[in-house]
Amino acid sequence: MPGPTDDKDRTKKTYWLDQRRNVDRLVYGLVAICGLLVVADLFYHKHTHFAFEGWFGFFAGFGFVMCVILVLLAKEMRKIVKRDEDYYD
Amino acid sequence: MTESLNPALILILGGALLPLAPDAVRRWGTLALPVLALLALLSLPFGEYGQIRVFGYALVTLRLDSLSFVFALIFHIAAFLTALYAWHVRDTVQQVAALVYGGAAIGAVLAGDLITLFVFWELTAISSVFLILARGTERAFRAAMRYLIIQVGSGVLLLAGAVIKVQATGSLAFDYVGLDSPGGLLIFVAFGIKCAFPLLHNWLQDAYPEATVTGTVVLSAFTTKLAVYALARGYPGTDMLITIGAVMTAFPIFYAVIENDLRRVLAYSLNNQLGFMVVGIGVGTELALNGTAAHAFSHILYKALLFMSMGAVLLRAGTVNGSDLGGLYKSMPYTTAFCIVGAASISAFPLFSGFISKSLILTAVAAEHHWFVWLVLLFASAGVFHHSGIKIPYFAFYAHDSGIRCEEAPKNMLLAMGLTAFLCIAIGVFPDTLYAILPYAVDYEPYTTTHVITQLQLLMFSALAFTVLVRTGLYPPELHSVNLDADWSYRRLLPMAFRHLGSWHQRLTDRVTRTASNSLRAVFDNLYQHHGPQGMLARDWPTGSMVIWVAVLLGFSLLLYYL
Amino acid sequence: MSLLDHLPVLVVLLPLMSAPLCVLVDRPFAGWLIALVASLLSFASAIGLLLQVGGGDAISYQLGGWAPPWGIEYRIDLLSAFVLLIVTGIASLVMLFARHSVTAEIPEGRIARFYAALLLAFAGLAGIVATGDAFNVFVFLEISSLASYAVISMGRDRRALNAAFEYLIMGTIGATFILIGIGFLYMMTGTLNMLDLAARLPEVADTRTVRAGFAFLTVGIGLKLAMFPLHLWLPNAYAYAPSAVTAFLAATATKVAVYVLLRFTLEIFGAEFSLGAMPLDLILMALGLIGMLSASLVAVFQHNVKRLLAYSSVAQIGYMLLGIGLASTTGATAAILHIFNHALMKGALFLAVGAVAYRIGAVTLRDFAGLGQRMPWTTAAIVLGGLSLIGVPPTVGFISKWYLVLGTLEQGLWPVAALVLIGSLLAVLYIWKLVEAAYFEPAPAGADTAHEAPWSMLLPIWLLVGANLYFGIDTDIPVGVATQAADALIGSGR
Repeated sequence: MPGPTDDKDRTKKTYWLDQRRNVDRLVYGLVAICGLLVVADLFYHKHTHFAFEGWFGFFAGFGFVMCVILVLLAKEMRKIVKRDEDYYD
Repeated sequence: MTESLNPALILILGGALLPLAPDAVRRWGTLALPVLALLALLSLPFGEYGQIRVFGYALVTLRLDSLSFVFALIFHIAAFLTALYAWHVRDTVQQVAALVYGGAAIGAVLAGDLITLFVFWELTAISSVFLILARGTERAFRAAMRYLIIQVGSGVLLLAGAVIKVQATGSLAFDYVGLDSPGGLLIFVAFGIKCAFPLLHNWLQDAYPEATVTGTVVLSAFTTKLAVYALARGYPGTDMLITIGAVMTAFPIFYAVIENDLRRVLAYSLNNQLGFMVVGIGVGTELALNGTAAHAFSHILYKALLFMSMGAVLLRAGTVNGSDLGGLYKSMPYTTAFCIVGAASISAFPLFSGFISKSLILTAVAAEHHWFVWLVLLFASAGVFHHSGIKIPYFAFYAHDSGIRCEEAPKNMLLAMGLTAFLCIAIGVFPDTLYAILPYAVDYEPYTTTHVITQLQLLMFSALAFTVLVRTGLYPPELHSVNLDADWSYRRLLPMAFRHLGSWHQRLTDRVTRTASNSLRAVFDNLYQHHGPQGMLARDWPTGSMVIWVAVLLGFSLLLYYL
Repeated sequence: MSLLDHLPVLVVLLPLMSAPLCVLVDRPFAGWLIALVASLLSFASAIGLLLQVGGGDAISYQLGGWAPPWGIEYRIDLLSAFVLLIVTGIASLVMLFARHSVTAEIPEGRIARFYAALLLAFAGLAGIVATGDAFNVFVFLEISSLASYAVISMGRDRRALNAAFEYLIMGTIGATFILIGIGFLYMMTGTLNMLDLAARLPEVADTRTVRAGFAFLTVGIGLKLAMFPLHLWLPNAYAYAPSAVTAFLAATATKVAVYVLLRFTLEIFGAEFSLGAMPLDLILMALGLIGMLSASLVAVFQHNVKRLLAYSSVAQIGYMLLGIGLASTTGATAAILHIFNHALMKGALFLAVGAVAYRIGAVTLRDFAGLGQRMPWTTAAIVLGGLSLIGVPPTVGFISKWYLVLGTLEQGLWPVAALVLIGSLLAVLYIWKLVEAAYFEPAPAGADTAHEAPWSMLLPIWLLVGANLYFGIDTDIPVGVATQAADALIGSGR
């Protein structure tokens, strides 16, 4: 039942994610999962089409590096294409 | 008669009659019509129906085969889900426009000849523009006009191509077209515009985010996937499409990273997803075309789901600018959850729909040994997770708390999102149900150890990259801004050029008339120097210049005829 | 002889003889009624004629019993029956429309005489089409022109007088040129009968006199049909004439001039001479194309809706000239089809604009603001007429463009086909200006709440709009007639 008291509670309520410590925990969790996934490469036979797919941790490295490049390039691009919000008005 | 009833007509005619019905009937009608049309579709065996003759040409207005069926089916589902999502909207214009638009898209997919295709093609353009206009703002109006011109222009090209093709081959049938004739080229460009090929793409990012809350969801489902279908029908195995598709997957994600309007981010990622399908068409093998059809199917669902969640945010929070949002998970927990399902699907997490459809395309590309294209697609896969999978939920629902406290989305929206999310997961968990209706027989198992682990590696490390960049402050902040794209050419360059052309044309006519009358007057002045009064001829009345034209033309004709 | 045998003259005589009747009764309502009845009867005669010649045989009617080539012959073939149908049909609808419109725009004392003049203009146009005698063409041309000057000058705007004067000068020059041309031909052949001319001309085709006659005729006819750059009289004449007159002239006068061009160049001179030996095909195509693009571009920048549509007419004439210039059966079919189709669309548009003038009083784009709500039916008619003008299926405009583009492609003229499409895009622009004003701009604050036009106006408007749609879907009649007529014209030269 949504009501005025309910709303007030909600604004006061502290969420689990509001604490910095919990966010850090999430990040460590992510790092741990990443680590496990890379290590997993040692324990199965990769079925691949291309030779480079078979390299140890190829997908992990590719995903990380390309995403960093993507963001950094996009940041540079912003210098060229960014205009004020009302540019076309 | 009932046997060959075109489902498209049920939606179009039904939609056109809706305004006559009272409010309650009308609302139920928006839900009932897609269901009725779907029943009509399912009751039809594959074949050709509705053959009519129009000024000497045989038209096949309804062709149902394995390729058109997949697209027609998902369009019906989308029509129903979007109608449910828009249940709370009382605007008759939007209700009618959405139904007619969906119906037109279905009609186009089922069209067996180029003229029928053209008619429905244009109808999708004309009906859908009302979903943008209904927003009622000046910005929306202008975006709608740009959208309309480009869409109608695409239809004109299609018609021109069809005319040329008829002239060359005598056939209007819409089958394999190919690029080896001028008509085929024009039709290719027509499809390319609607499919948002690079440099022809900008109408999409321009118009979709300006539509109404529900309108954007409807728009996202039909137009571009209709174009994908048309390309798959007319140009399978066209090598150029591999390059075009690869570029399409890659370049929009750069824009998506720096775009602030989250619905526009989704529009860019829509463009990127289309790229995968276009690559599939370009590869053109059975596996690849299956991949395109499957990916279009799951894409319509998860893209609609993402647009639905952002629509709910726009409705409740009043904005979808990443810079102004954050912390909304506290107010809209269900919407957040549904958004994450959509994000997981578009990112192709195992057990979600994108995983089982996109991998068909990637495998087909690898099977044809296009290693570079394959790497580009892999990069785009990582990138799409980066901006759609993480950025959308993160900036809308998490990030720093913007302090916005609003209501959860209306129940009908939650229901629509819930159903769509359910379908996304169901397809991911039971891929064989989707594989069973694809155009060709499928011999593919998505859930192999290699596939699951490598995909998870790719996605998790992308997430890690995002985390690292945000934590180190390297991630570009969300800013209020406009990013220049190909639309600059027609929003800035073309109007300037046209104004110049107008005044140039005026000056030219003036000058030609003046020169002609001056030179003739000089001749007459000479002739009549000793005779009549000069005032007569020097008078500068407009009739004079007309008479001069007569003289010029007569002299010219005589000269030509005597030669 | 039964009455049916006299149809070829009746179609002309009915309006011609009713005109003095109008002057005699000199009452507004009676004048209108006479004009309407005369037009309808003439229309019925035209239908009868089309049915009679539908089989392919032409009717020859000898005036006063003198056998041709000595006597004057009225000759109705499929093409003339088709054009007669357009002229009489449009005349009937315009008369129906005129009742209220004319009452509002013409002083009461002059209304009966206005109808008389309009009937004369109508009779003249019908006569031009019906006759088989070259000199008779000139006579009827003068009758229709003089009457047209009179009705144009009755426009409410003072500038109408000036426009009529310009038209008078240009029309007279055009008629004189035509007369000179006919004179040259008579000098060389000693006959004025069209069929006779066609038979005798080939022997003397290689003379300077015939070529000069050809030049005078083509330029003179070019003036009457407002061929670019001889179109300058047209925008003012259309813009300032009374609404009913504008609709009537726009839908018929230039069409009849195109008919005369077809008749003279393709039948009398023969396609081989006109479009083969003489470079008329190139001239028509070049001027047609320039006219099409230039006039469309000018139309985009117009503020007065009547002027906008007038320039659009100049552009549309360009399409017809282009069709003739293609010198093929498909091209001629496209031109003949467009005579019919353009009459339907421009008739509908100018009548609808006339309805706006009747309710709002003026027809600039500013007056169109918010019109979609105030006069929904009229505005919807304008939109549909505009779509037809652009060439959107399923309207007749699409059919015209289809055949025209087909004709250009037959000869491998890709760039010309592209230019035709660019012309259509320009049409989108200027029609859009109307739609934008009517539907997306709020009505001006002080505007009185005008309401929908009376049914006597809406009926003819929507009949024409309906025809635009009907003949866009069921194309058998116009396409069949146009193809046969084109075959006959082009075939006769080969």
